[in-house]
Amino acid sequence: MKVEKINFDKKNDKISFLLKGVNESFVNVIRRIITEEVPTLAIEDVEIKENSSGLYDEMLALRLGLVPIKTDLKSYTFKEGCKCEGAGCARCELKMAMKVSKKGYVYADSAVSKDPKCKFVYNMPITKILPKQKVELQMTAILGRGKDHAKWSPGWGFYKKEPVITIGNVKDAEKVANVCPKGIFNAKGGKLALNKDKVYDCHLCNACVDLDDVKLEDTDNYIFTLESWGQLSCKDVLTTSMSILLEKLDQLGANLK
Amino acid sequence: MLIPIRCFTCGKPIAHMWEDYKEQVSKGEDVGKVMNKLGLDRYCCRGVFLGTVELIDLAGEFKRF
Ligand SMILES: [Zn+2]
Ligand SMILES: [Zn+2]
Repeated sequence: MKVEKINFDKKNDKISFLLKGVNESFVNVIRRIITEEVPTLAIEDVEIKENSSGLYDEMLALRLGLVPIKTDLKSYTFKEGCKCEGAGCARCELKMAMKVSKKGYVYADSAVSKDPKCKFVYNMPITKILPKQKVELQMTAILGRGKDHAKWSPGWGFYKKEPVITIGNVKDAEKVANVCPKGIFNAKGGKLALNKDKVYDCHLCNACVDLDDVKLEDTDNYIFTLESWGQLSCKDVLTTSMSILLEKLDQLGANLK
Repeated sequence: MLIPIRCFTCGKPIAHMWEDYKEQVSKGEDVGKVMNKLGLDRYCCRGVFLGTVELIDLAGEFKRF
């Protein structure tokens, strides 16, 4: 197996790379482990002291649960299997509190976390309060997996086959260049050329093939894209997913003995 | 009511872009260009922004209990 990095978009926390010499089922295993198994922190319990905002308590709690929390996997463990035996301690639970009475949006940043390393990643509007309304609550975040609830998913992975485009005897270069939704072609002086940086953006829509003499083939290489939702960095998501896969294989081997 | 925290379809966190989006659109900028700038490249997330109508100010006037 060979891996080539294609692009790393730091601003949007998005990475894409080319996988060579693997088959589709292996690429899918990576994708499923990322979305279902890599643990992250998310709000699980909310104790509402007062909520006179326009949103119902349940809706407010759901919204809080969905806000990504920066996760430090080294200092947190799952609640099941923790030394405290389910009672809840600083190793398996993260406590947060929120108290807002100023009118306007109630932002995620107004929440005070017990652990300064693990805070809400984005400053999102949770609800909006009018004068004399108030929100006061306490939250508990725990480590969980994406297969139990999507709020624990660390990101989104998807893949496609690597495209290979060959330009033949094209009649109307301008037309082909305009029909491509991703702008992969350049038309200069009636001649069609490939825009090398953008070939990997191709999503194999075949619009150019239907129109003119352009050949679009796919290889057995895969372009894998991973978008992190902010709890963990793309690198952490990938390395954790790989160690989870190895752990599962070790278990399988041990059980077969 | 309010901008959803995440996109219904893909799960991308989007709520933090709402106020920026609202401000730029109210200045008369092209909606599509604003969404491109914010990094919303899938049409599922774009649809959430287009479909959101903020009614919370009105709904907050009525006591729920
Ligand atoms: Zn514990
Ligand atoms: Zn989306």
